[in-house]
Amino acid sequence: MKNIIYKSILFLFVAGMFTSCQDELDQVPFDSFGTQFAFTTAADFENAIRGVYSGLNRGSYYGGTYLANPDVLSDNVTFSQSGRGTKRATHNWTYVAADNFGHYADGYTVIYRANQVLSFIDDFEGSNKANITGEALALRALAHFDIVRFYGKIPTQAGDANGSLGIVYRTEPDPTAQDPRLTVAEVYQNIVADLEAARTMISTSNDPGRMNRDAVNLILSRAYLYMGEWQNAADAAARVTEPVAARSSVVGVWEDANQDGLIFYIPNTTQVLNNNIGVQWSQGPVTQLIAEYVASYELDQLYVADNDIRKEAYIVDATSTLGNPINAIKKLLGRGNFNGLVDIKILRAAEARLNRAEALNNLGQDGPALVALNEVRSNRYMTQPSDGEAGGALTAAIRLERRLEFAFEYQRWFDIKRYGDPVTRANFGDQEGGAGTPSDALTLEAGNFRFQLPIAQSSIIVNPNLQQNPGY
Amino acid sequence: MKTKFSGILTLILALVVQISFAQTKTITGVVTDDTGLPLPGATVLIKGTTNGTQTGFDGDYSISAAEGQTLTFSYVGFETKELLVTSGASTYNVQMAAGATLETVVITGYGNSNRDVLTSAVSLVTAEELEELVSTTSVDNLLQGKASGVAVTAANGKPGATAFVRIRGTGSLVAGASSPLYIVDGAPLDEADLNAIPSSEIETIAILKDAATTSQYGSRGANGVVVITTKKGKKNKDATVRFSSRYGVSKRANDDIQIMNAQEKLRYELELSQLTLPDGCVGCFLPSASGLPGATSTPEERAFLIANQVSWEDEILRDAIIQSNSFSVSGGEEKVDYFFSLNHDRNTGIIAQVNGFERLNGRLNVNFDAKPWLDMGASVAYSRSVSDEPRDRNNVQNPFRAIYQNNSYTPVFQLDENGDVTFDENGDPVYQTDGLQFGFNTVNALITIPEITVQNLTFFNSYANVKFSDRWNYRLQYSLNHENFRREVYNQPGSTLEDIIGDPDFPGTKTDNGFQTIDYTLSNTINYTLAGENGHNFNSYGLFEYNFRETNSYTVSSRGFPSTLLSTQVNAAEQTNGSTGRSRLTLVSYGAFANYDYKQKYILAASGRYDGSSNFGADNQFGFFYSGSAAWNVAKEDFFAVDWIEDLKIRGSYGTVGNRGALGNYASQGTVVFGQYPGGSSTIPANIANPELQWEEAEILDIGIELGLFNNRVTAVVDYFKKTTNKLLFDVPTPDESGIPGFSINSNLGTIENSGVEVELNADIIRNADFKWSVGGNFAILDNEIIELPDNDNDGVGDDIEPFSFATIFREGEEINAFFLLRYDGVDPATGRPLYLDAEGNSVFFTDLPEGENRVLLDKSPNANIQGGFFSNINYKGFGLRTDFVYKFGNYIYNLVRSDVINDGLTPSSNQDVRAFNYWKQPGDTNVLPSPLYANEAQQGSDRFLEKGDYVRLRNVTLSYTFDKDFLARTPFNSIRVYAQGQNLLTFSDFFGDPEVGISSGETISQAGAVAPGEATLYSYPTLRSFSFGIDVSL
Repeated sequence: MKNIIYKSILFLFVAGMFTSCQDELDQVPFDSFGTQFAFTTAADFENAIRGVYSGLNRGSYYGGTYLANPDVLSDNVTFSQSGRGTKRATHNWTYVAADNFGHYADGYTVIYRANQVLSFIDDFEGSNKANITGEALALRALAHFDIVRFYGKIPTQAGDANGSLGIVYRTEPDPTAQDPRLTVAEVYQNIVADLEAARTMISTSNDPGRMNRDAVNLILSRAYLYMGEWQNAADAAARVTEPVAARSSVVGVWEDANQDGLIFYIPNTTQVLNNNIGVQWSQGPVTQLIAEYVASYELDQLYVADNDIRKEAYIVDATSTLGNPINAIKKLLGRGNFNGLVDIKILRAAEARLNRAEALNNLGQDGPALVALNEVRSNRYMTQPSDGEAGGALTAAIRLERRLEFAFEYQRWFDIKRYGDPVTRANFGDQEGGAGTPSDALTLEAGNFRFQLPIAQSSIIVNPNLQQNPGY
Repeated sequence: MKTKFSGILTLILALVVQISFAQTKTITGVVTDDTGLPLPGATVLIKGTTNGTQTGFDGDYSISAAEGQTLTFSYVGFETKELLVTSGASTYNVQMAAGATLETVVITGYGNSNRDVLTSAVSLVTAEELEELVSTTSVDNLLQGKASGVAVTAANGKPGATAFVRIRGTGSLVAGASSPLYIVDGAPLDEADLNAIPSSEIETIAILKDAATTSQYGSRGANGVVVITTKKGKKNKDATVRFSSRYGVSKRANDDIQIMNAQEKLRYELELSQLTLPDGCVGCFLPSASGLPGATSTPEERAFLIANQVSWEDEILRDAIIQSNSFSVSGGEEKVDYFFSLNHDRNTGIIAQVNGFERLNGRLNVNFDAKPWLDMGASVAYSRSVSDEPRDRNNVQNPFRAIYQNNSYTPVFQLDENGDVTFDENGDPVYQTDGLQFGFNTVNALITIPEITVQNLTFFNSYANVKFSDRWNYRLQYSLNHENFRREVYNQPGSTLEDIIGDPDFPGTKTDNGFQTIDYTLSNTINYTLAGENGHNFNSYGLFEYNFRETNSYTVSSRGFPSTLLSTQVNAAEQTNGSTGRSRLTLVSYGAFANYDYKQKYILAASGRYDGSSNFGADNQFGFFYSGSAAWNVAKEDFFAVDWIEDLKIRGSYGTVGNRGALGNYASQGTVVFGQYPGGSSTIPANIANPELQWEEAEILDIGIELGLFNNRVTAVVDYFKKTTNKLLFDVPTPDESGIPGFSINSNLGTIENSGVEVELNADIIRNADFKWSVGGNFAILDNEIIELPDNDNDGVGDDIEPFSFATIFREGEEINAFFLLRYDGVDPATGRPLYLDAEGNSVFFTDLPEGENRVLLDKSPNANIQGGFFSNINYKGFGLRTDFVYKFGNYIYNLVRSDVINDGLTPSSNQDVRAFNYWKQPGDTNVLPSPLYANEAQQGSDRFLEKGDYVRLRNVTLSYTFDKDFLARTPFNSIRVYAQGQNLLTFSDFFGDPEVGISSGETISQAGAVAPGEATLYSYPTLRSFSFGIDVSL
């Protein structure tokens, strides 16, 4: 009997030790942080807005393919035989609904983060509230803008553009909503509304890697330009105060020696970001370059040699791994012309002048338009090859200047698209002097449905309220 | 102890006094087994008493018994025999008869049950069987074809690779969540760590398939439970020393590819470069062959290339060497038993320069009776494995891709004009880079980019059994696994990759990463047994259990190494990355179980278990899982008089079990993480909260019949099962416009169903003293269906989901992982252009496919409909011949390798299979490949590359000889067995390549991330064919 009592006591004692185990079920993560605690102080919101900016650095956005696709799709580049063959279907306009460009998902990731900040900042009172709200609104507008200009028509592109399919415009951080696509006009109205609200709230200057009032005005001028609202575009562009980079600084801008003329750029170092964006164009040293695409011969010939500083800044003579001399793209090569690590330059002062020139030219105010155009030209040429144009000649000069200034800088496709022009690649090869193999496809006629990228099949499966673009 | 002894003495005295008038005498004899060999250690008892003895080494016994008493002779695995002592003879030799396999003891972890009273479906693989099978480095591979309803597919052929084990179909749609629960001596073990246990340490592997047995593991047993029990010694048995050694050679199994040699490839390139575009053709492009050597080289250059051609396969691959040695001692004294073993395994793998897999194990299992009311046990084991890793990528960094992609005319080393290797200023040969994709030389890379993983596992298990009384019992068990894993990847300065993407100021990069995981389980059970009179037996127990798991991880990277000999990061010029992480998961369980049987004829069992897991929403952490089962041993009935049916049991069970799948440890909580951005930290959303997240639940219904016929020479088990999984844990995809991390939220939604019939059959066709032939096999028909998916667009039908896989889709009403592809319709004889079928079934060209979705469900999936294995085992006087087959029918595989090596001229710079010559050349050609002018259209994803994966494979052939016991009686040896063995010697399949496909490509989709194992093949480590011979000695 005693034995049994002893054993029972032992058992109860041992069993009693374990009733506290139930508390162990409440585990809190070590490697992450509860969302409800992450948006309370001013410092939290600074971190939060930086989180939105870091979304721009994603692999299908300004940290990757978005940097290249607008030129790959147009006539600025030729497919290089020495590369890995990336983006070939894009270059040849043979993409289908089964393809997924990623610009869509990456853009909406930025939009979600911006909406999350905006939803939490309502209850916040602090000195940086206005600035953060302004930045969040601006980023939301920019991301929507970057998506809609790929996947939808641009208002000036065609008569029916404003009523055609735009994109979903998100103003709430809702994980499950299945919204339908708005029309292009509605989307642009939303973009402009966000930017107009942002431009008074955002500070005139912020840390490097963040937008400021100039940036918002520049994007606003671009949006109005795409919409065909010329006066608004010109006015917005006039509010940009940053001067255009002087001719002597241009080469250095692209080697990160100076930041002249930059309105919004993201610093990119081995310690922070460490993103080898140059991979989009090429890999390896210029003596043995694995080039995916090279500057097209036609574009190369447009730069006036020994006069236009951009030829030296944007294009470099290189030798491919196949042993051929090529016109390689220098813009993202890297600070030592090697591994592709350079700051990501997103908005530049020169665009404000060109936007203004184009808007005023469309209003018939050729005089002031010429002044704006020459602000850029005088800082790029040693001796300007032409001056004093008007009317149609001025339009052509502005368009040419825009192409030369923003080659390999995510503009060309959208410009051709909004002019309603076709893409015409000249039949020259991928080597210096035009020798070598030309690109497979050379023409995309105006009005072709392929000017709008297909919404990915996978996106439609998850949101059946989306309509596919016609033609796919 | 004293009390018991005196009790026995008193009893014996009493008996002696009582029957002192009867004649007592000494009975002697020899007990032999069913083959006539002496049976040591058999128990001889005087019935009705505790007076007995055990047979000695030669099966001999000696016992005092009186006339009229009955002697019982018993031994595990044999039928108990009784003998009445009569006047007259005093020598009784007894030959035991083998017991029915149904009578074996089944170890199910929480309790051991006699199979007779088991109400559920359990498949058992014993140590003897494991010894006869080909040894692989990972135990789960051994289960292939061994148990009905258990589908085992090796992840790939890499030494040390584990397998995908699917019990009764695919129970989940989330990657990694369809694996069964593995329990080793009471502690759970990850599937990935199964390669730490050598098969020679294993006593049994019990595979628990239905709710009644898995209910004991309730919360994690939805996909079945594999219970591995390691060997133990035997009390009162002299020590047995065992030594085994094996040595073998392995090659790649045939894969049907005939890659072009230099002449053929140059001719192919020339042909392609001479093609012209016909006028007005649409969708046509010239293949980019004009710059290739076949088109541009002069006759002298051609001759030079042909004369100096190499076989990249011979340069990169070699024969693997397999070695395995093990040593063990087991035995016991009166109160202690022990088992000790040491193992060493090595498999060099078939890649030259890569050392393969090597493992060292040690184990000690001890059990002892500390007090009459207390018995205890402890086991400790340690495993250390080192693996030299190849790069499993989908580009030339993968040696298995390089052997097909690199052209035969491209040499390994740079050659001068005489065809001799050139040397650099250090006297080292210069590696070729021209003509190789990205200039990447795989042979160089294998030497200069080493990657190793080191895995250390410690297993510890201990228990104490306290006997309060005959009926009450308390057991405390503590089990622990500790894993320490480390990986080092070193991209040496001057390596192939450095030349391409390295920074010349910082040559060489290295990454060290690793983790430590501790997983311990503390369990208390209190047991009540009532072995009643009148044949009622009742057993019940209550359980309280706590499981804790914590992982600590780290990663460090640096660059800038001054020499290839310096490989630790202390010497690096700059550290580029360093981070640590930690994560925990806990489980609390309460359970109650009861078993009842009446005279072993009518059996009932029930269970209930209440489990809480820390990764579910705060209000939904607990789930309740129950089961009920019944069985009827018809053959034991008095009215049952069919002679030739020895055993007939009908059983059924129904229950629910849970699964928390591969859910993240903090999946229900909304979290952010922090990154870096110029200016400071950046807040990045990590997980969207779902407080409703809860246990996934499977309802399993099982009905089965177990038969033993003709004196148990034929045994059969037939089961029908239906498993419905509800509240499926799922990464529910959200619209792209949501922008949330991963574009998905962990939720419980959806239902899938797996059902099927399983048959296990074994027959001893011939059973003589000298000659034995037994055959057996299993067979399972499996069916699965997605019953319900979330309906986000409210159209009344669940929405389709495209998981991260190559070409599969989840759709309501269809099979899991059904292939969803465009249909290919052959080549147009007039133009050589490929044709496809649109959604309506019209045959059109690719550019003419109508808008909208043209992909269709093809009624094909990577899931096999019928699978299993069969074996034949012949023994004649010591010679043995065993053959094991496995088979699989009904699955389809997307053959990406074929689309690469016969790629219709899409990338003419890569080497091709000789079949590529058979392309369309002129109007009227049929039975040809598409014209290279339409390579882009021909290589679109479609069912053109979807092939049947049916196969029958001779997995194992073993020819062995066991030396005669009489012959060995003069030697110190107890038994010696020598054998020769072959693995994967024959395969019957129509598949282009090896049909056993697990993961497609280790870096594209890892094993943990594979939703649909076997869906595509893409240059992962191939299956190997091996020959080995070995010897097993015991003394």
